[in-house]
Amino acid sequence: MKWTLLGLLAVVALIASVVIGPAAVPLAELAHSDIVWNLRAPRALLAFLVGGSLGVAGAGLQALVRNPLADPFLLGLSGGAGLGAVLAIALHVSGPWALPIAAFAGALAALGLVYRLGLIGGAALDPRILLLGGVAIGAFAAAITTAIVSLADAAELRNAFLWLWGGLSGASWDTVLVVALYAPIPLAVLLAAARPLDLLALGEESAGYLGADVEAVKRRVYLAASLLTAAAVAVSGVIGFVGLVVPHIARLTWGHRHRALLPAAFLGGGVLLTFADTLARTVVAPRELPVGVVTALIGVPVFAFLLRRWTIA
Amino acid sequence: MLRRLGFVVLLLASCRPSGRPAVGPSQRIVSLLPSFTEILFAIGAGDRVVGRTQWCDYPAAALAVPSVGDGLPPNIEAVAARRPDRVVLYNAGPNVTAAKQFERLGIRTVLIDLNRLEDLGPAARTLGRLTGQEEQAESLATVMDSLAGRPPPSSTTSIAFVVWDNPPIIIGHGSYLDQLAAQAGARNVFGDITAPSAQVALETIVARDPRWIAVLVDSAAPPAFMKRREWRAVRAVREGHFLLLKGSLFGRPGPRSGEAIRQLTALLAR
Repeated sequence: MKWTLLGLLAVVALIASVVIGPAAVPLAELAHSDIVWNLRAPRALLAFLVGGSLGVAGAGLQALVRNPLADPFLLGLSGGAGLGAVLAIALHVSGPWALPIAAFAGALAALGLVYRLGLIGGAALDPRILLLGGVAIGAFAAAITTAIVSLADAAELRNAFLWLWGGLSGASWDTVLVVALYAPIPLAVLLAAARPLDLLALGEESAGYLGADVEAVKRRVYLAASLLTAAAVAVSGVIGFVGLVVPHIARLTWGHRHRALLPAAFLGGGVLLTFADTLARTVVAPRELPVGVVTALIGVPVFAFLLRRWTIA
Repeated sequence: MLRRLGFVVLLLASCRPSGRPAVGPSQRIVSLLPSFTEILFAIGAGDRVVGRTQWCDYPAAALAVPSVGDGLPPNIEAVAARRPDRVVLYNAGPNVTAAKQFERLGIRTVLIDLNRLEDLGPAARTLGRLTGQEEQAESLATVMDSLAGRPPPSSTTSIAFVVWDNPPIIIGHGSYLDQLAAQAGARNVFGDITAPSAQVALETIVARDPRWIAVLVDSAAPPAFMKRREWRAVRAVREGHFLLLKGSLFGRPGPRSGEAIRQLTALLAR
């Protein structure tokens, strides 16, 4: 029943996102409208893929660091991506894909640094150090970014922050194709780690006794979740809230078993971001709202409602 | 007791507004907006400009004036180091705070609105009064007023100003660029948006179908987004109808606004 409802929501979200928009496209022309085929359809699919990826990455990271506040962007990736993007603009790297590639590279660099910090105590990845290291590296990268923006001459640098705030304006079939080819690999890695992630909730020691290769699982989950987030930030900037709230909503409804939780977080994240983007494009048309505003405006009330029901029950 | 009284007198004397010269024409001016720098030079007060922003690149003589940085927000010390008797600031939030700081240092300031064509005349008159160049300022202001008051020609083409591509930010009705377009005979397809600029969905640009996409650039290189696939949905992009407008001429209202309108008209007639 829950799955049918979620599946239905996903279909409705995708259809609504393609049918509704600020430009008036008559229903009869939907099938052969350039706006629908080349803008709305790829944007809806990208929203779904990015939202889903953020949902799963968030669920995986929350289990890994055993902290309900964990968010895919907490681990320094947004700072790294921002630094990459701003550097690309400051160094006049041109080309239509310069910004996404630079942001991806920046996120990967931050990922590498945080990962290295996480191993600082020895061969075991320490989740607490991952969290602290992520926050520290993120702050450091953000400081360098701000320094570049305030010192460099290029006026367009000030606008680079707009891109970082996140949005799906860059969606095209190219971006959809890139994400659709890339995301399944880390998604599969995370799904394969569903059982050990359940065990990890009992504590690392207990998980080890119950047969989980704790160190390998932690590394795999961290890297897969971060690689998913890096791709998301490269194509759509930092879209907040999806990766934080969707895993909690999924957990409140589906329980703590990751075999169900992760797919639910994927579909839930996809639904939330697709709906949010449809609203962002239409509610103040012809203007557009930043999609992160809408994800928070929808996500928080849903979360509060579920939390209330859950704590009362 | 007498000593104490003397101290109080001294204290009172030091409280009197002092150190300020009597109000006369400003002799050392720091201009914190390229438009003000252009106006000051145009009304013959250029030789009294002792500080400018790094963006003030016109007229050529302005480049010889020391720069005090980007002016966003003003670097108080760098400006004060030029020992100005008047700082000219654009009237906006952070500048209001900066102006108060200058006043506390005993430096007179003036905050001037300059957002649209009709602000040019009053701005020129204000600067003329402060520099004692009333006559030249009045003749410039008259030209500017007639420019602002001129009914725009009926539009023969349409345009969208794209300030940023991801997310797409466009120029709306309440802006100088919208006025430039109207005076050059082009209808801003986002003229219904009252804000000076706004974020819109790409499909809205496609649906509004402007004949021209105008971009303010400092370099001659076209912006990279023109090659991105999603932008190919916009007809003007597919057809290569781009206007690369130099920000230093088109991006600021000033004495050269008439020149900007003439150049834009010529570009649109291509």
